[in-house]
Amino acid sequence: MAAMDVAPVSRRRRPVPSLGLRARGLLASEWTKLRSVRSTFWALVVAGVTAVGGSGVVAISMALSQRGSALPRDPLASIFFAWLEYPVLGVGILGVLAFTSECSTGQIRTTFSAVPQRTAVLVAKASVVGGAVLVLGEALAFASFFLSQAVLAGHASQLSLSRPGEVRAVLAAGLSLAVVALVGLGLGALVRHTAGAVAAIPAVLYLPLLVLSLPSPWADRIGRYTILMSAYQLVSLHRQPGLLSPALSLVVLVAWPALLLAVAAIATSRRDA
Amino acid sequence: MAADVQGRHALIEVREVTKNFGPVTALDRLSFVVRPGLVTGFLGPNGAGKTTTMRVILGLDHPTAGTALVGGQRYQEITWPLHEVGSLLDANALHPGRRARAHLMSVAQSNGVGRRRVEEVLELTGLSTVADRRVRTYSLGMKQRLGIALALLGDPPVLVCDEPVSGLDAEGVVWARELFRSLAAQGRTVLVSSHLMSEMALTADHLVIIGRGRLLADTPIDRFVESNTRSDVLVRAPRAKELAELLRGRGASVRLETDGALAVTGLGSPQIGELAAEHGIALHELFSRHASLEQAYLDITADSVEYRAGRPAEPGKVT
Repeated sequence: MAAMDVAPVSRRRRPVPSLGLRARGLLASEWTKLRSVRSTFWALVVAGVTAVGGSGVVAISMALSQRGSALPRDPLASIFFAWLEYPVLGVGILGVLAFTSECSTGQIRTTFSAVPQRTAVLVAKASVVGGAVLVLGEALAFASFFLSQAVLAGHASQLSLSRPGEVRAVLAAGLSLAVVALVGLGLGALVRHTAGAVAAIPAVLYLPLLVLSLPSPWADRIGRYTILMSAYQLVSLHRQPGLLSPALSLVVLVAWPALLLAVAAIATSRRDA
Repeated sequence: MAADVQGRHALIEVREVTKNFGPVTALDRLSFVVRPGLVTGFLGPNGAGKTTTMRVILGLDHPTAGTALVGGQRYQEITWPLHEVGSLLDANALHPGRRARAHLMSVAQSNGVGRRRVEEVLELTGLSTVADRRVRTYSLGMKQRLGIALALLGDPPVLVCDEPVSGLDAEGVVWARELFRSLAAQGRTVLVSSHLMSEMALTADHLVIIGRGRLLADTPIDRFVESNTRSDVLVRAPRAKELAELLRGRGASVRLETDGALAVTGLGSPQIGELAAEHGIALHELFSRHASLEQAYLDITADSVEYRAGRPAEPGKVT
């Protein structure tokens, strides 16, 4: 090279950081991002209020209507079914925003120039968003359970964690929130536009339910592979007719966000940022 | 070879890069090398492809053909690139609801940069006292400083900044200019884009000029100045031919302009005036002309300006 009249700074080649160190850094980074914007707080407030409030309303109406009437076979499933309408939207939007807020602001270019391994960024986002919503979801699920238990105490249909399947149902309710948050993240990364991705959440959650109006047996054959029906099976104490086994329902429930995120990772790596 | 890696450690190499956006060719087999120890000014009219080039260098856009290397590596292959390349593309590209310190911290964490360095760059850019404000309350100048702070997080040997002084006030422009110069003096590679020659004339040691995605010039700034800023003296005299002979006799070179005026180089206006007076030649006009650096830049990019404002028609002139 041509003579340089300025002495170059002497630099040693930086040792390549270990995978663990890189993963920890990336998770810390995404965690900082998630908790440093107010939209996270509000999305979680919406999810929390609608989750506990929704379950409470269902439990109260159950308690009121039960005087003397036959007990519902599975009160817990009814209580958590309320979750699949409103709280899922709150956490779904949280998942969407984790990606699209970076697109709309241009932050994503800073993110990808700091970490050009884009799939790793998406995995870190999924871990942080999924992990945070899972913890919150389980907390809300147990809160809903104990609230409903208190409301229904002394009535015909009582709740008890010692009954077989009830713990599983409560855990599954929390998990379903994390699943929808990750579906939101996947949609956000694919659509890269907040309004579009938010609109896609109900499309993914509820539109497949249209198959339920198909003539039987097709309604069940297809319907059991939807997010809502597999979540419904998991929060039920009993095997729902026409649906998959709880174990297979769990696989279906987890496969949805996994597939969406895999497609989103491929798209994200190929596209210009 | 280790020596080769060492030698290329801080180079930016753009090799035959072509980038098409649909039918539009943004970059057309663009090649240049940016070297350490210098501030390299990256110039071109709006739409010339400066930002696209930087995005390709930073691995954000995938080139249609060709490669861009930083320190001999493709950007995508670098782990924790903040330690190798600091960059500022768009100072507005951040979440307005996030506080500046959290913004820097999140990026620092992703590259294993510690909290202490975050405080250092805040100090360096004069943002320490406002670091806990949400970024939405920042002026564009403050965001530029925040962007520069972020670029410096990893203490990188290479710096890539797109229009870093736009939005800065006069004091900020001087600050940024001195910062870039001192970073280059430390032996770092500094690539700074601008669409203003006047700014680059004060900051850059080397110029890379592009237009319509093609390389127009890649030259040290003094050579650019030398070869592009002729100054001459315009002389109008009734006895032009006679004067021209006399001037040539004194070693000046004389060119006849289309309107009969003489363009003289090699002699200044005082000597020309004296000479004319000695020989009793009347002068109607004697005028020193300097083609500015800005003019030279405009000339070089004239054919490649993407968007040009219409000029008001001159009255009475039919073209």
